[in-house]
Amino acid sequence: MRSKHQVLALLFSAIALALFAAGSGLAGGTHSKTSAASGPSGWVAKSSASVGSGGGFGETYKAPAATLTHALFHSNLLPANKNARNIALGSLGRSTKTVNYALALKCWKNNGCTTGTGGKLTVAYVEGFGENTYRQMSKMEFILEALTYPKIGKIIYRSAHSDLNQAIADFKSMIAQHVSAIVTYPDFGDAMLPVFQQATKAGIPVSTYAWGYVSGPGSNYTTVVGEDTCKLGKTFAYVMNTQVKSGNIAFLGGFPGNPLSLGWQKCEQTALNSSIKIVANDPTNWDPSKVQGIVSGILAKTPDLKGVSYEDALFMSQGGYAAYKAANIPYQGVFTYRTDEAGMGCLADKLKDPKLKIFYYSAGNAQIRVALTADMMKLAGAKIPPTIVFPIQLQNQATRDMCLKGYPPTASGTSLIPLSLLHQMYP
Amino acid sequence: MVAASPSSPPPVKPFAGSAGSRLAGNAAAAARFLPVWLATVALVVIAAFAAPNALGHTSWSYVLPQATILAIASLGQMLVVVQGGIDLSTPGVISAGGNLVVGVGAGSDHRIPVAILAAVGVGLLVGLVNGVLVGLLRLNPLIVTLAVGQIVLAWSSKYSRDVVTNQPNVASGLASWAATKHLGISNVFWTGAALAILVALALRYTTVGRRFQAVGANPRAAWIAGLRVRTHVVFAYAAAGTLYAVAAVLLAGVSISIDPAFGSAYLLAPIAAVVIAGASLAGGLASATSTWIAALALTLLTQMLVIMGLSAAMQYVVFGGAIIAGMVISGDRVALLLGRSLRPAKPPPRQASAQT
Repeated sequence: MRSKHQVLALLFSAIALALFAAGSGLAGGTHSKTSAASGPSGWVAKSSASVGSGGGFGETYKAPAATLTHALFHSNLLPANKNARNIALGSLGRSTKTVNYALALKCWKNNGCTTGTGGKLTVAYVEGFGENTYRQMSKMEFILEALTYPKIGKIIYRSAHSDLNQAIADFKSMIAQHVSAIVTYPDFGDAMLPVFQQATKAGIPVSTYAWGYVSGPGSNYTTVVGEDTCKLGKTFAYVMNTQVKSGNIAFLGGFPGNPLSLGWQKCEQTALNSSIKIVANDPTNWDPSKVQGIVSGILAKTPDLKGVSYEDALFMSQGGYAAYKAANIPYQGVFTYRTDEAGMGCLADKLKDPKLKIFYYSAGNAQIRVALTADMMKLAGAKIPPTIVFPIQLQNQATRDMCLKGYPPTASGTSLIPLSLLHQMYP
Repeated sequence: MVAASPSSPPPVKPFAGSAGSRLAGNAAAAARFLPVWLATVALVVIAAFAAPNALGHTSWSYVLPQATILAIASLGQMLVVVQGGIDLSTPGVISAGGNLVVGVGAGSDHRIPVAILAAVGVGLLVGLVNGVLVGLLRLNPLIVTLAVGQIVLAWSSKYSRDVVTNQPNVASGLASWAATKHLGISNVFWTGAALAILVALALRYTTVGRRFQAVGANPRAAWIAGLRVRTHVVFAYAAAGTLYAVAAVLLAGVSISIDPAFGSAYLLAPIAAVVIAGASLAGGLASATSTWIAALALTLLTQMLVIMGLSAAMQYVVFGGAIIAGMVISGDRVALLLGRSLRPAKPPPRQASAQT
């Protein structure tokens, strides 16, 4: 009797799983029919003007002005340090190189691939958390950049799904495999320092992006790429001082203790007028649901909230907006963001409220390209500066709409991923 | 009193000393579920002093819908716990359900019914798979539901990436419905309250419900009594999966748009709510209304901690401490203590109770 039950159960489970698998194929399989072609590895325009000259260590220090403007808002917003500037130009200049989009897409979906070039180098993008669109787009930028190097034969991607122990294990695994170079965003900050040091000791260059600052860049690891987060905070403060003038504002951050949030928050705090009061400073783990809960709590305490500074524009257009709506409080105020996801701009366009004032920087997905190029140049024998810092220029939604035509709401408009490829990633 | 005859068994007199024992039994049952109600009242009193804004209108407009959604997921978990099991597939089902609501709905109000059906269908299917693996194959529920949940979560991530990322917004009709209020309270709350009452009444006053609890309390005795034990276990998981999917639909409605991490907060919170509400993890006893109250208390506590402006680390400490305290004062511990203190010192011999 029991064996009969078990056979029936197995049969039922198999049918259910098969139906489930079939359903998944039906529901999500449309993209596979889309044909993928080759094309430039980054966003390029017809304009032939370029910035920079010279080269070395396998790079040409020249990039199309249009590409720089697309990623940085202006072609002159390059690092001040000469070496850093050359690395940035060499990296972003690779946008013009042709890559196979089908291979890039396959690599992105499979979290790694062999490039088919026969190159002997293996590069890895290892991160603590990779489950949102921002990180997935960064992964594609990394893959596109890696595909421009014939020397790279294998690309590896690992996400630790917010688990510190897993993140450390992933990193150690890369060291054990003797990968050639590692690019990472250190979600857990200095907790990753020991494995950074191990990799450096093993001769593996390690670079971070999005100002993934861990102590001792240049000695404990190769370099940190990002914008000047302190300047970002000061610029946020300038906007608050001139637009809000006086009243209550709130700070939101990512994972507790992450270097990006700490970087801008401490500088904004000190640069704010004394008439502006910070009523909350809460970590959101970059999770829209958590953003909704936290913003709701802040609004309950401070219904007359006049502004919010945060990294992620998208999450404030999702969880943040939902909190305002639930509280029946108009979505108004001054909002300063680090990122530029199209969804926030499209929401602002839809609301058409002059009291909703949005100022933003760039999500900076393309910074990961610079981090990889820094690693590659290090392997080629170049001296890499400990920091590669891009200047800040905040944008005003009223004068530059971040709701770009053709971009998915969750995508940053300053990404260098070619739009046709982005559409294949998110059909 | 009917006289005994040789052809019929002697009528059984109710358990002697019954007044004391019944009192002990009722008190023990009350003690199992009462603490969460008292703790919630205490929490409200503390909030009134420590964070009065947590009890304001703006706060309730967030707390009530969120608590309701947690309560519905917790009711699903409760049904599984009643059968002595545990279900860790909750985040997977909620993630899949939410993504289907958005993906199948495609932003069109006309497609909302189909989207809801798809979400609930997947919840039911996942629950059935869990039920079959646990109930019929007798596999460990902790491992099996975690594994099934991971598979569903992986599928959901893929579906989200392929279909939802390009259009993550919930159909405006569903979002508007979730935001609409009757008597000043969100539709989500009324839906959850109706579901909780339905589950409570079904468990308490229907034959099916009483059998369901009897099977959970003592599967062997239930089997001897002729009840289909395995069927009840499969049903528990299937019903739980369906309730998680309903929670997903409502959560999508109040979230307006969804993201890849949708539902990730629902791994431990529903279990915490069920346990704090006094359910026995060994199975058998649980209260739908107490579970609802526990979900409300947990959500209110979270909101209160944010409003108090505690650091993230301190919020985790207080929240964890509250769950431990909730477990200490609810469930078997207090029930047993109270039952012992009220029970007569020496129960009368069983023989005597059976005599006419």
